[in-house]
Amino acid sequence: MTLAIILIVFAAIGLSVIVRLCLSFSKSLRLPEDASIARQIQPLDVAAFRNLIDPAEREYLRRRLPSAEFREVQRERLRAMAAYVQIAARNATVLVALAESSRTSSNPQAAEAARQLIDNAFRLRRNTAYAMFRIRLAWLWPDSNTAAGSILQGYVQLNGTAMLLGRLQNPAEPVRISAH
Amino acid sequence: MLQAHSLLWNYLWVAPNLFLFLLGLLIWRRGLNRQIPAFLAFALLSSPGQLSLYMADILPSVSAGTFWRIDWVSLTLEALLKFFVIGEIFSRVFSPYPSVSKIGKYIVSGVGALLVLIAGLVAGLSPGDSTFRLISGAHLLELTMFMVQCGLIVFLFIFASYFRMPWDRFSFGILLGFGVASCVHLATWATMTNLDLSIHQRTLLDFVNMATFHATVLIWYYYLFGRKIPPKDGAGGRGSQPPSSGSVTDLEESLHEWNRELERLIHQ
Repeated sequence: MTLAIILIVFAAIGLSVIVRLCLSFSKSLRLPEDASIARQIQPLDVAAFRNLIDPAEREYLRRRLPSAEFREVQRERLRAMAAYVQIAARNATVLVALAESSRTSSNPQAAEAARQLIDNAFRLRRNTAYAMFRIRLAWLWPDSNTAAGSILQGYVQLNGTAMLLGRLQNPAEPVRISAH
Repeated sequence: MLQAHSLLWNYLWVAPNLFLFLLGLLIWRRGLNRQIPAFLAFALLSSPGQLSLYMADILPSVSAGTFWRIDWVSLTLEALLKFFVIGEIFSRVFSPYPSVSKIGKYIVSGVGALLVLIAGLVAGLSPGDSTFRLISGAHLLELTMFMVQCGLIVFLFIFASYFRMPWDRFSFGILLGFGVASCVHLATWATMTNLDLSIHQRTLLDFVNMATFHATVLIWYYYLFGRKIPPKDGAGGRGSQPPSSGSVTDLEESLHEWNRELERLIHQ
């Protein structure tokens, strides 16, 4: 009896997940215009982010501050880091939607740039998941290293391909995912 | 009406399998066999298996033992084909993107192995619904097959949704059909193999299973041959236009600026 109930609950959860995803797939078929998708991108200050994840910066703080204060400051830095990583992940998702419309473009250069952008965006999204996990761990142990460095590299690559695609799609409105 | 061997019961057993076979022929005729070969094999091979089982059920000359042996063969073949189809869909959705396909393969293999272990455990714990091993074994095979199938499909949907993977219509429709069917069938088989039900209650659950399968076949028709929303060629159109020289210069400048910034960051 208990086993049957567990399996029925599992099946019901599975079905509700599938139905929910089916509804979101139907919405995704009605793609909004590229311009409105591009407006969802939040430019990210790469320099500030790099400063935040700099191990030398952390070492400097560790040497200068008493350990309790260092942990408090480090947690604040981790919170900011998490916010950056979440924005990077969101931007990656928006770029997938943006590039998707160009994947079947008649222009082979645009189609290739779109494919590359999607692949880079997925890599970044995968790295953001890993980095968020490491950031949460580091929240518990503020002395440990974080894996946000790979996010920066991924983001840098993503920005390059996004700009290339933007240039091929619409030279008048370039896509920029990093703030100067 | 909701009795075994009623008109509705016969219809729900035969019609979806005929429709599925027809779907396979349509896939073949429209040249889609290269895109979805595993699903084509499933459509063309599993429906004759089910129809032979139906014939074995209605022909008085076929003994109960033969019926259950045909059921075993048909189930095993169907299970294999379904897992090939799931693999095919995984490949269609993830293979174009190497950054996620490799990690996806590892995770799917891990989840699959875990599901097989859990399914084995559940089969071991289930009391079985018949004193005949041939019958209770067939029912447990159904239960474990739908457990693994349902778990894999739900995982694939969640994994693809996390990455916002771009689905093509065929892959989404095929997996949606299998997903709905496996969830409903898992619930019904969990009830049948673990609870002491009357014959009438079992017949009602058979109706649920057959109706779900019918709906699944219709879902496949809709996604494979239904009305398609025309793709927007906005980006493609714009991409094929020659760029104006002034804006390209501006963009090249911003690209150079970005590259300078990157080099500074990388070599710092």
